[in-house]
Amino acid sequence: MSDETPQTDGGSQAVQPPSGTTGEIAGDAIGENDDGHGEPSPDASEFVGEELVAGYPSSEEPVIDGATIRLPPGEVTALVGPNGSGKSTLLAGLADQLAIDAGTVLLDGEDIHALGTKELARKLGLLSQENVAPNSLSVEDLVSHGRYPHRGFFDSLSPADREAIDEAIDLAGIDHLRDREIGSLSGGQRQLVWIAMVLAQDTDVLLLDEPTTFLDMHHQLEVMEIVERLRDESDVTVGLVLHDIEQAARYADHVVALKDGAVQARGDPETVLTQELLAAVFGVEATVESTDRGLQITPLRPHHDCE
Amino acid sequence: MAGEPTTRNRIASRLGWFDRVDSSLLALCLASVVVVLVAGFVQIRYGDFPMTLGEAWSAIADPNVLLSLRAWKGFLLGGELPELSNQSLIVWNMRIPRVIVAVFVGMNLAVSGAIFQAVTRNELASPFILGVSSGAGLAILLSLVAIPATTIVVPLLVAELHVSTSMLLPVFAAVGGVLAFVIVYAIAWKNGTSPVRLVLAGVIVSTVFGSLQRAMFFFADDLGVVQSAIAWITGSLTGTDWEQVRMVLPWSVIALALAVLAARQLNVLLLGERTASSLGMRVERVRFALSGVAVLAAAVSIAVAGIVGFVGLIVPHMVRNIVGSDYRKLMVGCLFVGPALMVAADVGARLALPVQIPVGIVTGLVGGPYFLYLMRRQESMGEI
Repeated sequence: MSDETPQTDGGSQAVQPPSGTTGEIAGDAIGENDDGHGEPSPDASEFVGEELVAGYPSSEEPVIDGATIRLPPGEVTALVGPNGSGKSTLLAGLADQLAIDAGTVLLDGEDIHALGTKELARKLGLLSQENVAPNSLSVEDLVSHGRYPHRGFFDSLSPADREAIDEAIDLAGIDHLRDREIGSLSGGQRQLVWIAMVLAQDTDVLLLDEPTTFLDMHHQLEVMEIVERLRDESDVTVGLVLHDIEQAARYADHVVALKDGAVQARGDPETVLTQELLAAVFGVEATVESTDRGLQITPLRPHHDCE
Repeated sequence: MAGEPTTRNRIASRLGWFDRVDSSLLALCLASVVVVLVAGFVQIRYGDFPMTLGEAWSAIADPNVLLSLRAWKGFLLGGELPELSNQSLIVWNMRIPRVIVAVFVGMNLAVSGAIFQAVTRNELASPFILGVSSGAGLAILLSLVAIPATTIVVPLLVAELHVSTSMLLPVFAAVGGVLAFVIVYAIAWKNGTSPVRLVLAGVIVSTVFGSLQRAMFFFADDLGVVQSAIAWITGSLTGTDWEQVRMVLPWSVIALALAVLAARQLNVLLLGERTASSLGMRVERVRFALSGVAVLAAAVSIAVAGIVGFVGLIVPHMVRNIVGSDYRKLMVGCLFVGPALMVAADVGARLALPVQIPVGIVTGLVGGPYFLYLMRRQESMGEI
């Protein structure tokens, strides 16, 4: 983690006082490669959603109203925000799993809506929050479904598929579970298997929707270790929704804070995750201390006056 | 669901799809083949025209049939049969085709049920869940009651084609089933479908069509029509011969081949709509196409046997209990267990009582309690 001062680019808004609920609080440091773990590889993909408006047919108001988000190539971007802030909706819209009403989503400058569904699934993976699989399915079989977009209707698994599956299982650290049935696994183990499945998809961009929620501490760390490995050892551009702010601070290169469907702040963790932001976005009074293990955030009490 | 722990070794599992056939599936298929052969032989030997074991066997192995091109042409394409002994005629012209039809009906219903269970992600789904049976039943009653039994003569260039309404009954049944399915799909469609909406729409359409069916009974003018209608609606193989085999064979081959090929799509569909879609599957399109295959399979079996209940519900369930929910294995299992259940049930329907009863009654009587047993034994049922 770096402790450099954020660099403000021309387009971002000035720092708002903590009472403000709109506008971006921190400067925009995204894209400035200032986080000290090496240059992103030129092969990594950039993933951008511009001026996105998205919602559900059941409600008039869009859940996401004009959000712009950029996932810098090869790095990890965390989306944080309170319940109902539209994090999952934004992720679904970005992954074309939810039809957006306006805006564009660009993968390496190319509109993803111009891609076929399988073509897109070869470049962009999304792991939803809750996943279901038949209990009798074996771990290896579930992971192998990640190869679906790479296979034709009649194709059996090619050597390349096998290799991708092995790599994914290896990266997720679930080799010992390989022949187990899904039904016999704990929730945490299951989540690792699901992550292995999207890893086997072998995409340039990987979106994870709350991958650590509901997991015990051990498996939360396992999941975040995978994310860390993706950040350090691969070109994959990762975007993930996190509920745990400290996790975001510790593992993400960039943090985007969302509230009421709009981006409130973006930048590296130190600039975004401030006491002011926690008050404005999450409605909590908290202390933020910089330690040698990253930011330490201690929530103290809720603010009752905010909305 | 508690399947067996996978103990197959990894190297074997890497060799591809045929090598994945595990021992439980193999045992299941072999046992099913034995059941089909034994029940089939009972069906062939016993009946109103009694035969000794030897007579029955020599009739089955009659070289005048087995080695006669003309006989097979007559069976499979229609046309004159060669001179045959009485035994051979009865065995080959009446009893064997009935067994063959039962085999295909069992396959079609089982596969159709397996597909619907994956599409709706609910193991209580059956081939008839999406209104297929009610549509087919209504079409049958309509044609029996409303259209007088006449023979339409269609002049062709070389010959005249005699088409009686009873010959068209299967076609009406299938068309009715498909129509009901389309109505159900249209009702369930609202920015796409969902399994729950599909099932609910199916229940609603079935209820309405069921009422219409019962209303039609009051318009039937003689008891014969009512009886034949009931036989159709409960499902019966009485009176099937090679004509039914010819009718069922080509469509079954298409439907069953498509179903087996689609096993991997079904497996992905079981992971839920969102996962399937983010893996790049066009979920709506695949779901509609697969439902279409399942409706085709169900309609084929309705066309020759009427609406045989419970087979499509129970067989996939039994197979899943033994081989697990991997559709590559499940489909193969269904192709074997379906015929076993159907052929055995038809033995009961034809021979157990002094009068023949529709086979659908037997499958219901056997299937219902078996299903209850499963329900009691298993912790949870419903979602696959």
